[in-house]
Amino acid sequence: MQETYEIVLKIRRYDPDSDRSWIHNYQLETGRILRFTDLFRKINTELDSTLAWNSSCEHGQCGTCSVKINGRPMLACELLVENAVEDFETTEFFIEPLTIAPVVRDLIVDFDKAYERIHKIKPYIIKSAENPDSGNEYKISPRHLERFVDATRCINCFCCATACISSHHNFLGPNALMASIVRLMDPREEAIKERIALLYSEEGVYRCHTSKACSFVCPKEIDVAHFIALAKSGDFQSEV
Amino acid sequence: MAGKLRISSTLNCDVLVIGAGGAGLRCAAEILEKKPDTKIVAVTKVPHCQKSHTSTAQGGLAAVDPKDPVDKPIYHMFDTWKGSDCMGDQNVIKKIVEAAWEQIVWLENKGMHFSRNEEGGLGKRTFGGHTVRFGEASAYRAVYEADRTGKGIMDSVWGETLRGGISFVNQTIATELLLKDNQCVGAVLFCQRKGKFVAVCAKATVFASGGNGQLFRVTTNCRQNTGDGLAIVLNAGLPVMDPEAVQFHPTGIVGPGILASETLRSVGGILRNKDLEPFMEKYAPKMKELAPRDLVARAIETEIQEGRGILNPDHNIEHVWIDLRHLPDDVHKVQIPEVTSFFKKYINIDPKLHLCPVHPSNHYQMGGIPTNEFGEVCNTDGKIIPGLYAVGECAAASFHGFNRLGTNSILELITMGQFVGERVVESLSDHLPALPGDAGEKSFALFSAYLAQTGKDNLEKIREQSRALMTEKVGVFRTQKGLNQAMEALKALKERAQNTALACSSLKMNPELILRWELDNLLSVSFLTAACALNRRESRGGHARRDFPERKDEFNYHTVAGMTEFATVELKKRAVDMSILESECEHCERFGTIERTY
Repeated sequence: MQETYEIVLKIRRYDPDSDRSWIHNYQLETGRILRFTDLFRKINTELDSTLAWNSSCEHGQCGTCSVKINGRPMLACELLVENAVEDFETTEFFIEPLTIAPVVRDLIVDFDKAYERIHKIKPYIIKSAENPDSGNEYKISPRHLERFVDATRCINCFCCATACISSHHNFLGPNALMASIVRLMDPREEAIKERIALLYSEEGVYRCHTSKACSFVCPKEIDVAHFIALAKSGDFQSEV
Repeated sequence: MAGKLRISSTLNCDVLVIGAGGAGLRCAAEILEKKPDTKIVAVTKVPHCQKSHTSTAQGGLAAVDPKDPVDKPIYHMFDTWKGSDCMGDQNVIKKIVEAAWEQIVWLENKGMHFSRNEEGGLGKRTFGGHTVRFGEASAYRAVYEADRTGKGIMDSVWGETLRGGISFVNQTIATELLLKDNQCVGAVLFCQRKGKFVAVCAKATVFASGGNGQLFRVTTNCRQNTGDGLAIVLNAGLPVMDPEAVQFHPTGIVGPGILASETLRSVGGILRNKDLEPFMEKYAPKMKELAPRDLVARAIETEIQEGRGILNPDHNIEHVWIDLRHLPDDVHKVQIPEVTSFFKKYINIDPKLHLCPVHPSNHYQMGGIPTNEFGEVCNTDGKIIPGLYAVGECAAASFHGFNRLGTNSILELITMGQFVGERVVESLSDHLPALPGDAGEKSFALFSAYLAQTGKDNLEKIREQSRALMTEKVGVFRTQKGLNQAMEALKALKERAQNTALACSSLKMNPELILRWELDNLLSVSFLTAACALNRRESRGGHARRDFPERKDEFNYHTVAGMTEFATVELKKRAVDMSILESECEHCERFGTIERTY
């Protein structure tokens, strides 16, 4: 087992004060199980304190550290050096910010802009369906929950939206659509018409070209394309 | 380049919420439900509230279902009291436990995707320390959303507040609390993306800034939890309660510190040292690996301190092993798949084939900003500061005392969040207060000094040294000598932090500038924690003194500590509320100063 690696990170930088963009090469000697977030920190400590990047939980639960690594959108906290070298068959990595929102500085994008699409689909129960057992929880069978529970695992890292081959400008994007589809499959939601109207609007599911890139890149391994396919066929309620 | 610093705009609102995690937003949702036209501004350090630390909570939420034929609220109160090592405030324990189920139903009705039982109701599971009939048997008391209960809560309260018309100010820090005539009138914010200071004038300010796990080198906490909230409160001349009460989870994965759940030990995982000796037999001959969290953490730490740890070269952290190799395939596949995947994903180890490295990981701060049972913040003399509230991990009411039970933390977020919201609505004045004339001056002085610093020291290295020091000397075990050394070393680091010229002087999204500010907060809260740990010459809950291993009745009080100037700590006491014991209720006699043995 190789214990250390010599790697090169080619990072796309952006300085908002001078509105200048460039590629900065960082050479690092690193242990095999450091994650890419550890490498960014190592750069800050040893080479360049100005490199700006985002993270929060750093264990794949929040979706803050998403970047493009050799073209592929992924969570930097989940990529280990030795896996990266094996998977990409190189020790050089080109790292760019996500493309779904304007860049603020270096690898940090404007998540306010990215989230506008999620807010547009209303990620909550718009109107509560009547609860036969008022004052208690709704009864939802495990089988029914099973149909859409995978989609509720989405952390809005925007890797899918970045990988999507449809235009970003007039398409709500896979994660936003999926958040609405969850509520269409959730018996507690009554505002079906409003949800359907947006889902099948100009910005909705029919912008999807079914490349399935969303499913392919999802760090949570959610089959996003499956849920979009359900929406295309209007199949929200049928039992398994 | 930064010119002269100034307030670029002033925002007026009814309620300012500082920290948009589970507690802050549950509070905001309550306010919007009770008084829908309330103008609320919620500030978060992360790029979006969904990225808050609440989202990482795994296990579940403890709540007694009134339909449960066996479980009763009094059992939950007893477990919490016993778990707290007789330091939880009984009025708060009673209030939270009695409100718990209603809050679960609220979350479910708002769309949280709880795991279900066969009948379609909420599934329940057992959790360490939660029992029926005062310790007789395990209680099925924890409702949950698979292994992502915190995310379920976060998504629900985010959705509800969004629906209610809250305004979010993201990737923004609060740098200064604004007090006028002993009343809180708002705060000064620094919006990182724009690089601008904003003054917020608010009728009520709710502090919900979360934990401070980054004080320690190995932690389960997210990167943002650098003690900012407590530092701002200290700077405003207000106290912090019980900062020495810190919980360490025994098995954090080396090096990120990610939590490897208790389940690993309950399914038969064996802890081994560098000689592969199964060492828990020495510390807890009967319960071995199944002993409570704090006991296991102390056993692991002892092994490491006595030279029987193993050094991980990549992360430069000493650890012990947890051995899962002997467990049958179906246990790996069915009972511990998530944790197994963590080992694979973050350190490339297959627990079926290899030993897994673990180290005690800082997990939770039981102490925080002192409040009463309504979340109203109290000053050093116990007087309420009008207009200021605190809730969640940054606050101490105190529900957890000196040791928190699993599944009680996110319960506290939502119940206290609701109580605080209720109280804010009741107390909201019709008039907007005036801001003090010098609003922002403290922040400008601080940030100008940061930008003008000279010297070649390295901020990241200073931070790492501080965190390593805290893990080593103010961590699982503490001694008088170690604590004194830590305090001296922290003073030296504080000096060194001033000799660090920033490479970039921009105000816009400048990570170094924020790191410099965080470092001051980190050092302040670290110093306070060490000073209070030094003062408490006993061992209780998460606070373990090697030189004073027993709990002592003379310390049956909360520490209330102020620190307006770095390293000048003022200590006071607050009595522990014993109202259940003093009441005439059935079983009240069990709520005296009891032994915490399992």
